[in-house]
Amino acid sequence: MDPARPLGPAQIDVLAQLAVATVLLGGIYALVSVGLTLIFGIMRVVNFAHGEFLMLGMYLAFWAFSLWALDPYFVLFVSIPVFFVVGLVTYALVMRGVIHASHNVQIFTTVGLSTVLQNVALVAWSGDFRFVRPWHLSTVLRAGGTIFNLTQVVAFLIAVALTAALVAFMRWTHAGRVMRATAQDRDAATLMGIDTDRVYRLSFAIGIAAVGSAGVLVAPLYSVYPTAGLQFVLLSYVVVVLGGLGDMLGAMLGSLIVAAVEVAGSYLFGAAWKEIFYFLLFILVLVFRPAGLFGQRGAETLGV
Amino acid sequence: MPRLALTIVVAALTLVLGGEPATVRGQALSGEYKIGVLEPLTGPLAFEGKRHLEGLEIVRDLINERGGVMGKRLAFSVADATDPTAAASEANRLITREGVKIITGTFSSRLCGAASEVAARHNVIYWESSCVDPRFNKRGLQHVYRTEIDATGFGWYNVEFIAKHLAPRLNLKPNQLKIAFLSEDSSYGQGVTESARQRAKAEFGMQEVTLEYYNWQTLNDMTPTILKMKQLNPDVVHHIGFGNDAVLFWRQSKEQNFLFKALVHAGATGYGGADFGKALGNDANGVFALLEPGPGFRLESLRPEGQQIERAFRDAVQKRTGSYPFGGHQLAGSGLWLLKLVLDRAQSDAPEKFRAAVMALDLPVGSVINGWGVKFSELGQNANERVQHYMLQWQNGQLVTVWPEEFTTLRAKWIPLGPWDQRK
Repeated sequence: MDPARPLGPAQIDVLAQLAVATVLLGGIYALVSVGLTLIFGIMRVVNFAHGEFLMLGMYLAFWAFSLWALDPYFVLFVSIPVFFVVGLVTYALVMRGVIHASHNVQIFTTVGLSTVLQNVALVAWSGDFRFVRPWHLSTVLRAGGTIFNLTQVVAFLIAVALTAALVAFMRWTHAGRVMRATAQDRDAATLMGIDTDRVYRLSFAIGIAAVGSAGVLVAPLYSVYPTAGLQFVLLSYVVVVLGGLGDMLGAMLGSLIVAAVEVAGSYLFGAAWKEIFYFLLFILVLVFRPAGLFGQRGAETLGV
Repeated sequence: MPRLALTIVVAALTLVLGGEPATVRGQALSGEYKIGVLEPLTGPLAFEGKRHLEGLEIVRDLINERGGVMGKRLAFSVADATDPTAAASEANRLITREGVKIITGTFSSRLCGAASEVAARHNVIYWESSCVDPRFNKRGLQHVYRTEIDATGFGWYNVEFIAKHLAPRLNLKPNQLKIAFLSEDSSYGQGVTESARQRAKAEFGMQEVTLEYYNWQTLNDMTPTILKMKQLNPDVVHHIGFGNDAVLFWRQSKEQNFLFKALVHAGATGYGGADFGKALGNDANGVFALLEPGPGFRLESLRPEGQQIERAFRDAVQKRTGSYPFGGHQLAGSGLWLLKLVLDRAQSDAPEKFRAAVMALDLPVGSVINGWGVKFSELGQNANERVQHYMLQWQNGQLVTVWPEEFTTLRAKWIPLGPWDQRK
């Protein structure tokens, strides 16, 4: 919107379109972040390899599409169990050894894992940019003066569904309650007879299943390449901290806030400014509300 | 265990260091003249680095079939410059252990600065064929040369094309054109964009409506930028993209029905890469990218000696790779061929004699591979006007040569671009 011009119908259209862009972009960020908030919130492990599992999901969609012409929406159903198993295996091979170690060790381990996965992808599939182009890719829906990209709308809806499902799981199932208990106090949970190792394994596997499936969903929207995960990983940390560790609804709202800051910042000041704005927001939240905008006060130190 | 590791290290060192013949200076007697070749052959830049090496080897063979250099067979001592540190240390090794007096390379702007610094310290000639960092020739180094134009040269050519080809075809005077500048924020993107802005304004009085830089690696949505540009209504979008950003901008411009009359890019990244066409198919139609010559290039438009070497070069590339030369082949190949022309004149690798021969070399456009000519500045930079570059356009899945028109059989289409669904 040009501030010098009066608010005419054209200006309102732009405003509406910016709002739509915010919601749809927020949906993508939420997809990437819910898995992270689960791992970060419950295990208190800073998983720097999170973006690489997203990248692997994108490659799964790419190969399924180019080898067997499988639509990413079909691959989505396969990707959930596949990445659940990937999560279990990664946990057994890598994470279990460092779960009780200091944060420094965990950071080094996951950064190492991230580098390994990027380079495995580079060696196996080269550094080329690849693309998934299902028939519905450039389908747009129009409502009044605003335009919706169908793939983004679907991604947003699935993000909402996934968040709702995880919230329900955490709130109303036994496994969810056990996970929350472990997040609150690891030692007390152990004393209550909870097998925390099993809880961590489950949290990690669910988190990876979520992010791997997110990769499948966003593959048509972005290029697929070995460092594609880096495009989202720092940002998803901002989202998770904003929403409060382990808080799924918080992650959803945090995603929308980050997207709004990004869209408004890019429009009003230029694309180069967007990171300045959302990292400023990140710092402000850490200083004034370290538990996140929606998190419980004091939750940031629990179980660490 | 540590003892075993030590043994392995010592054995490896013995192989690497001791295995080299100690008398590389003896090359004068062997009938072979060896130059150092630095390219990234492993790591993230390897894909292009290998293509450059391939281009160098193809032209080396052509040179040897045509009398070699200074009466000797041209040979390479190849080193892997995977990153700036390796580029510097390998340059050092080529000079001190292999005894080379000339080094050529290196494809990447990340590498050429570090490697040439080392060469200059040893008073060795550095002959760069493809890095485009504008700072390369501006460090006061006497024996550092570059055959390709730098990033600012790309901006120069883009504005040349916009003012002299697009403007008349749009029935506008250059000073009536409204340009939006958009670019990724690497030194390459900024170099091209800033020089294009400057020339567009100073020489042609074009109207700049906006300038925007962004980091392509963290860019996830271009809708806000597109909505802003849409209101400014530019005639031409000058967009230097890198990868995902080019596809994202084009796809989302279509979604938002952002209509402009032309989009101009420069270089083999973003819109200039094969990936762009693969991502968008016929939706890519109409985009311009400044590159080396591609399909449509008219051999007959070159001077006779240029035609001869260009034809031999293409045949050799075809024979070895089965395809039309890629940018990497073309840049490295023409760079090496120019080195031969200089050595033919200098008949010496003594830096002063070599420099005199470089400065004396004066060939018009159309004389060598790619239709290039030669005229070096005192800074060791080949002139923009001589290093002929070409505007290619995406037409139905292929990048084809469309400008300057005397060099091609094909013509630029979709000027102005028109509605998104009618660019068939």
